[in-house]
Amino acid sequence: MTTPTGTAEQPTTSPRSGLWSRGAGHYQSVGEWWILPAAIFLVVFFVVPLVENAEKSIALSQLLRPGTGDGYYLKLFTDPYYLWVIGQTVILSVGVTAICVVVGYPIALYLVRHAGRWSGLVIFLLIAPLLTSIIMRTFGWRVLFARRGLFNETLMDIGWIERPIAFLNGPVPAVIGLVHVLVPFMILSIASVLRNIDIGLEESARLLGAGRIRTFMSVTLPLSLDGIGTGAILVFLLANGSFVTLLLLGGGSIQTLPLLIYQQFNTTRDFGFASAMSNVLLVVALACLYLQLRLIRRRGVKGG
Amino acid sequence: MEGWSYYWENRGSRLLLTAYVVAFFIFLIAPILIVVVVSFSATSYVAFPPREGLSLQWFQRFWEYKPFLNSLIVSIQIALLSAALGALLGVPAALALVRSRRRLANTVMTFLLSPLSMPLIVLGFALLFFLSRIGFGVSFLSLLIAHTVVSLPYIVRTVAGVYRGISPEFEETAAILGANRWQVFVNVTLPMIKPGIFAGALFAMLISLDNLPISYFFGSAETNTLPVVMLSYLEHQFDPSVAAASTIQLLVAIVGLVILERTYGLQRIGMPT
Repeated sequence: MTTPTGTAEQPTTSPRSGLWSRGAGHYQSVGEWWILPAAIFLVVFFVVPLVENAEKSIALSQLLRPGTGDGYYLKLFTDPYYLWVIGQTVILSVGVTAICVVVGYPIALYLVRHAGRWSGLVIFLLIAPLLTSIIMRTFGWRVLFARRGLFNETLMDIGWIERPIAFLNGPVPAVIGLVHVLVPFMILSIASVLRNIDIGLEESARLLGAGRIRTFMSVTLPLSLDGIGTGAILVFLLANGSFVTLLLLGGGSIQTLPLLIYQQFNTTRDFGFASAMSNVLLVVALACLYLQLRLIRRRGVKGG
Repeated sequence: MEGWSYYWENRGSRLLLTAYVVAFFIFLIAPILIVVVVSFSATSYVAFPPREGLSLQWFQRFWEYKPFLNSLIVSIQIALLSAALGALLGVPAALALVRSRRRLANTVMTFLLSPLSMPLIVLGFALLFFLSRIGFGVSFLSLLIAHTVVSLPYIVRTVAGVYRGISPEFEETAAILGANRWQVFVNVTLPMIKPGIFAGALFAMLISLDNLPISYFFGSAETNTLPVVMLSYLEHQFDPSVAAASTIQLLVAIVGLVILERTYGLQRIGMPT
């Protein structure tokens, strides 16, 4: 076999807890070079394509069109239309993230503090939708929001409206659809942090005379900020890159970068420009990844 | 559990919270249930609640409409193969990284998991041009490579999670008792991490089945996956056959979820790390 059959022990510096490790090394079942196939695969099919994509947009915008002054990035960051698209992408992602925090926090609180024997069911109900197809869910919302769908019919039955409202292809179903897809991520992130908060801290605050709201605002909420942070980065990232929901529920009412990339690829076929737009998305994603790492590291230090 | 009463000693506010939770789960589940109901429509148009009774005609249409069935086969092939390839590459890497003492190991782990944080549409777009340039073009192989970039990190994450929880003493004991490295790996390590491999691969398969942003760029008559066909169908027509296709896909996912729960436990996957 290809694995070296040398001694099991390898010199290590930091001692490991457990009886066996005292004085000895720790067992490594596979050599460190076993990392290589996966690492090489990702360098070739993940890093290189993204770098090439970045190069291409810069080369095309600056080398192939010297002096014309309409390089892709210049166009992207000066043309009012594209600025508005970038603005909408950011506003939508931030808005959806904020709604997910507000909608999801009470559910996370319920899951950790009150669900008791129902917590298995609650987690199942949170995860099950994640495994249904994105098309299925947008289809469901389209049925509900249709001209003669359940919402319109109900509103007409109770006499709030006389004629059906054209919900579809507007921003409202698109935002609802996005929140529907992303809120479970937020809830699970917040719940995993809430679970580790010592309930005694809240009890102490109450005993010392703080009201319920004050206890929540100055004890529970600050202690769970880490969970909100992790969830917010995740939801922002996913909202930032989504286009199916916006395409099928929002019509053309909200234009975002992913949607524009999709359209550039589909119809206009200006690939250099699409590369430039995808690079803007990539930079946002990398910034989020960096923030995520810092959050994890900070929590790691606290935990240790 | 004790202590919650400090928070919600008021019965009314507790009732309010419960009502909110129920309303939330109706919001979460209703659009999915509606699609399942619509897939049994007897009418040729989409209506909820369905009129004129129920039927199985849309499942029959799914079966007879070639693009749906062909793309489902492509989807399943890609899901299985990308999970297998992801496991082949990811499992050894996860094992090596978990027990590595180098400072670099953390960075490498972050790198292996980083495709999960990239917008898939960007990844699909960039990969299409790269794979075309090196001559792979729009092909089954390209689609497989693109899906593996995403399935690999899922498998690395679950396998690393399981292996981290296993004490090295089992392997050390076997080594002391005279097993060589290969015997230790096959007889001790592999059986212990099996649930992790299985769960990670299953999870990657479910993600692959629903992956639209990447599959979209590699679409051709031979390489269209089910979500891509469903999307193009939806852009031209709105009839219950897409509901039937969704219901079939959901059925596959539920079977997967039940297996996952039995073998690994949902809670360990659900919590983002």
